[in-house]
Amino acid sequence: MNLMTYARRNIFRRRGRTILTVLGVALTILIFSGMRTVVAAWEAGAEEARADRIASRHKNSIVMLLPKRYVDDVRAVPGVDSATYAVWFGSKDPKKRTEFFAGFAVDHESWFQVMDEFELAPAALEEWKRTPNGAVLGDLLAKTLEVKVGDRVTIQSDIYPGDWEFVVKGIYKPLRKTADRNSFIFRWDFLNNDPRGDVMRDQIGWVLSRIKDPTQSAAISKQIDTMFDQRDDQTLTQSERAFQLGWLGMFSSLLKAFDIVTLIILLVMALILANTIAMAVRERTHEYGVLRAIGFQPGHIVGFVLGEALLVGALGGLVGIVFTVLLINGVIGPAVEDGMGAWFPYFRAPFKVIAMAFGAATLAGVLAGAYPAWQASRRKVTDALRRID
Amino acid sequence: MVPIQYNLRSLWVRKVTTIATAAGVALVVFVFGAALMLSAGVQKAMSISGREDTAIVLRDGSEAELPSSFSADLVNIIRDRPEVKQGDGDGAVGEVVLVLTVDVTDGSGISNVMLRGVPPESYRFRPEVKIVSGRMPTPGTNEAIVGKAIVGRFVGVAEGKQFDVRNNRPLKVVGTFSAGGSSYESEVWTDVGVLRDSLGRPSVVSSARVRLNNKNDLQAFRTSLEADKRLGVDVLRETDYYEKQSEQTAGFLQGMGTMFAVLLSFAAMIFASITMNGAVANRTREIGTLRALGFSKLAILTSFLLEAIFLALVGGAVGTALVMVMGLFTFSTMNFQTFSEIVITFTATPEIVFNALFFSLIMGLIGGLAPAIRASRVSPIEAMRA
Repeated sequence: MNLMTYARRNIFRRRGRTILTVLGVALTILIFSGMRTVVAAWEAGAEEARADRIASRHKNSIVMLLPKRYVDDVRAVPGVDSATYAVWFGSKDPKKRTEFFAGFAVDHESWFQVMDEFELAPAALEEWKRTPNGAVLGDLLAKTLEVKVGDRVTIQSDIYPGDWEFVVKGIYKPLRKTADRNSFIFRWDFLNNDPRGDVMRDQIGWVLSRIKDPTQSAAISKQIDTMFDQRDDQTLTQSERAFQLGWLGMFSSLLKAFDIVTLIILLVMALILANTIAMAVRERTHEYGVLRAIGFQPGHIVGFVLGEALLVGALGGLVGIVFTVLLINGVIGPAVEDGMGAWFPYFRAPFKVIAMAFGAATLAGVLAGAYPAWQASRRKVTDALRRID
Repeated sequence: MVPIQYNLRSLWVRKVTTIATAAGVALVVFVFGAALMLSAGVQKAMSISGREDTAIVLRDGSEAELPSSFSADLVNIIRDRPEVKQGDGDGAVGEVVLVLTVDVTDGSGISNVMLRGVPPESYRFRPEVKIVSGRMPTPGTNEAIVGKAIVGRFVGVAEGKQFDVRNNRPLKVVGTFSAGGSSYESEVWTDVGVLRDSLGRPSVVSSARVRLNNKNDLQAFRTSLEADKRLGVDVLRETDYYEKQSEQTAGFLQGMGTMFAVLLSFAAMIFASITMNGAVANRTREIGTLRALGFSKLAILTSFLLEAIFLALVGGAVGTALVMVMGLFTFSTMNFQTFSEIVITFTATPEIVFNALFFSLIMGLIGGLAPAIRASRVSPIEAMRA
């Protein structure tokens, strides 16, 4: 009989307690994974950001616009392969089927050329280019708004008054998992030609450029900003990644709060484990005395206790991972992607999180077992044998 | 009934286990309480920004000041309505709202700050706005004052410094103001005319705030304004407006926090269950003795249940006490409606204290139920034999 066998048999001596402990650890692991999945989903945009794309916006405010002619200047910059532009249209569904979706007016000629993570049937694209009041929707949004190609759809805006009517000319699908599937896209010239569009007349919200050499991203960004530095409206050009990171930065204290709660979750897990191990060791004080008396060394006792703690922790970790995969990846993830796709287009526990969860459970087991193990091994044989609890 | 003394002493004998379990409960209660305090903080900052006798006028369909815009002439029309308090031009104030991109002082990147262009009357309109250092801006100049909640957070947005609204259009910060803890303290204020010129949109405002003669006049005021379709405006009571503004952020913080706290509380219940199960197992002989002495099954059940509840309540009290310390801290988050940063103070309310303690009590009750039932089922004869 080796150490591990002893540890393994020990954990089944109090079956009820072991099951509860494993369940408790598994539950904390599930919460831990859930929390880290939120963070991972949040950061997914930055991690998946395209290195060959840069975005220029107004330097001083996200709500201030740029003159439309800036696009032509950007297109002329050496190293810029193609550029497109868009302006925000604060979209609302008059029938309130969704709280929020992104809507913008874009340059129909170049949008899908630059945003190549979306797939739109060539025939639909041609059709859209021929239809001034045509709109293209993400597949998830089309589902929410209950429209298909050829339907009329009315949306409203919190910037531009009244009802806005469009004809659905295409539904795009994502080619990458983090690509947005909830946008409502229509033609910039349609908004610009409407009398109600006077707040944006001949202006655009941002320019998106594809560059030929991703390593030149910083240099080209700087060149663009320098080009407009003496104008009334200066630009702030960033790589898509920097842009996404800047967005995350605004939530930095929220992410910090998440980190603190993650730590608390792990602490609760460690406490549960420590409590169980301490209880078990206490009950077996006499037994450890006997083991010592028949020649086992303090090191053996440490091994017994630590082995048991490690096993319970790992077992809890494994069950927790099963919970995570079944619940988060199987049930919650698809539901979140469906319902909150605008915030979290991709919501699954990544491998990194699962590995971290298992590591944390195992480590917590070792840490939780350390003190009881040390205490049990240090106790004098005579004391241990005297104690009958 | 078994004396409660018995339970307290029993908890004390098993100190390590008791402390570990109580600590577990305390941590869960801490998370729960912190989330509630944060959400209460958002609501407080927003609710004291609004007044019952004040209406806010926005462009029809805009739900917030930021996307809203209408002609500045409208403010004069609005001011002449009979429901509006007549005064020195401060019955209605038209303001321009903007978010500015600024660098964060700690070098972590850029953020957004809310900028409000106000006419001189706005300071009379909102008497709670007071200069805490520096001085008031001179009307008609590019001077600005900064809310005390965000002083020092952003590069250039501090007394004696300046920052750009647009190229070569700087604002000079000449003072710091307080506003009774409201969300205005996370804003920068400057002259409305100068701001409009900088934006190149001289005749537009984002919103108008209107002081009514009486808070009951709102309905009449709304009806008369919204009936005129040419005006194209929406009228909201200011308190309702701010409540709606804080809904999403407060709801998100509270929802997220309570969700994780409730999930975590299941772990704490299991924790309490393990501990109480151990206690029952170790005290089988004692339970048998108590039963033999004539204590009923119900008395035993109650006794162990009370022990579990007491254990959880101790944890709950520690957790609540710890979370109260958070009241000393502020939390800077993005307001989803304005895309700008708002600084929130963790705010304790009697309800939160009650809810946190009640939450821990529930954890003790549910966690202790199964072990208590088990204890009540102990057969006195077999227990004494064991």
